[in-house]
Amino acid sequence: MITKRNIVIMLLFLLAMGSYYISAGDAQDPPVVPSQSTPAAPPAPSAGFPAQPSSAVPAVPPPPPTVTLSLEKTSVNNGGKINVKGQGIPGKPVYLEVWSENKVKSSFFDSKPGKDGKAPYKLYLTYSMPASYKIYIPESQKTVVDVLKKKGKGWNFADALKALNAEDAYSTPAKIQIDAYQSTLMASVVGSRGAKLPALDEKENRKHSMQLVKSRFEKAARLFVPSLDVKADGSFSGVITIPEGGSPGKYEVVAVSSALVRSQPVTVENHISFPMIYLSNAGTSLNMLWPFLLTLVISIFGVLMGAGGGFILNPLLVSIWPLPHTIVAGTVMPTVLFSQASGIYNYSKIKFISWKLGITMGLAMLAGGFIGPKLTEMITLSQFKFVFGWILLVLAGLMFWQTTAGYIVKNKKEQAILSEFKKRAEAAAKAK
Amino acid sequence: MVVEFWGQEFKVNIVFGCIGAFLLAIVSSMFGFGGGPFMVPLMSVGLGLPMYLVVGSSLTAIFFNTMMGTMRHYQFGNFDMTFFLIMFPAAILGGYIAPKIAKKVSPLTVKRIASAGMVILALNLLGLY
Repeated sequence: MITKRNIVIMLLFLLAMGSYYISAGDAQDPPVVPSQSTPAAPPAPSAGFPAQPSSAVPAVPPPPPTVTLSLEKTSVNNGGKINVKGQGIPGKPVYLEVWSENKVKSSFFDSKPGKDGKAPYKLYLTYSMPASYKIYIPESQKTVVDVLKKKGKGWNFADALKALNAEDAYSTPAKIQIDAYQSTLMASVVGSRGAKLPALDEKENRKHSMQLVKSRFEKAARLFVPSLDVKADGSFSGVITIPEGGSPGKYEVVAVSSALVRSQPVTVENHISFPMIYLSNAGTSLNMLWPFLLTLVISIFGVLMGAGGGFILNPLLVSIWPLPHTIVAGTVMPTVLFSQASGIYNYSKIKFISWKLGITMGLAMLAGGFIGPKLTEMITLSQFKFVFGWILLVLAGLMFWQTTAGYIVKNKKEQAILSEFKKRAEAAAKAK
Repeated sequence: MVVEFWGQEFKVNIVFGCIGAFLLAIVSSMFGFGGGPFMVPLMSVGLGLPMYLVVGSSLTAIFFNTMMGTMRHYQFGNFDMTFFLIMFPAAILGGYIAPKIAKKVSPLTVKRIASAGMVILALNLLGLY
């Protein structure tokens, strides 16, 4: 048993010996430490010697700081809750870092003016962001998370880690491979990411990885979960949640007390089964029936109102599922290729296309289409939603205008001429 | 530019048209939508062309944008094959079903419902409700 006196002794000892142990770098490997770094020392104090005189204490070093962690189960089906418990260092908080092995792309465009007033215009890009990432923090810090939630979009990940005292817990994404590009207006015009900058040093990498984490996970509540019950004696318990719709495969869980006092990782396996499907580029798994039905309904609606469904489909997809806007924009676009091509084929059969006009304007659009997709990764999801909000308002105005009396009268004439010409064209095509 | 279509000649302000089409293509490929509902007003209202000339030609122009946009998004790693395979059949199926129910519904009603729905969605995206 750990008595109060033992705790005090242990802490004192830790203070004295901490740097020695830590610099040895063995703390991450708990089972080996006692035998390696203190070969001459007798076994760690145990409950068997309750009446040991205090003068004998220095000769009996307590075990080096370790954190242990055990999970109730190591496999879940399509997400689930797992009870965890473990033993940390008495009087110190414990954090759990949980990340998935599946990785996704994340990008962040830095356009905030720095201290010198100049905007850096740098694009940071990684392909190895964990698809799922969470830091579980002690329950006592719930108020800090609530403050972060209230800040809305304006929260800062680095400040949040500092406020939560969880900087040591943040380690896995800090080491991801990040590419940095210097964007310029000229590069954007020719559709390039810009010149690639030299590799980031460790500190820079850590700093920018935080921006990328925020860009991927957006909300503070998604990253910090205050669910750990940490007792004064260092023991802790809590629940970790592998979210439904999270990435399948392996998750690693590590308990962290300080930078070098980390538990061995425990692996959790998340299984998903049909109709749940993992979108490997989006880093999200979802029940495939829902996006299928949504696309079906929206595309029917789109044809009926004479506009493609992309306008409505894109914002709905990013609102309903935690999908990155880059993936949504890049994946919805090709779905209309086929219907457009068949439309062009049908019109061309009856010679209802002015190739001269269509191709001239098409070439202008070709140039625009070359530039646009690069810009998608330079904006955040919230900016994407904001601009889409305005686009939809304009479009709703256009739609509504098409239902006003003046338009209908004009449109009736136009439609009559249109069908008249179409008939003629069809007849001409048949006559051939 | 003069365009001849079914025996009639139309004068087109092609510079204005191309600048408009270029800007529209940037925005639509950036946000991943086709661009039809903006391209048609651009050509009919902006360039003053009749509807029967606009329908086919605007579709041709947009197709260039969609092709290039698709290619570039793929190049930048913004494409998810699994997701595409879920949505693509649905989009095709929708294209087959829609014409069959088109005669039963008034396009006016559809457009009014659509514009109301879009306002709600827009306000939601802007974080106003």
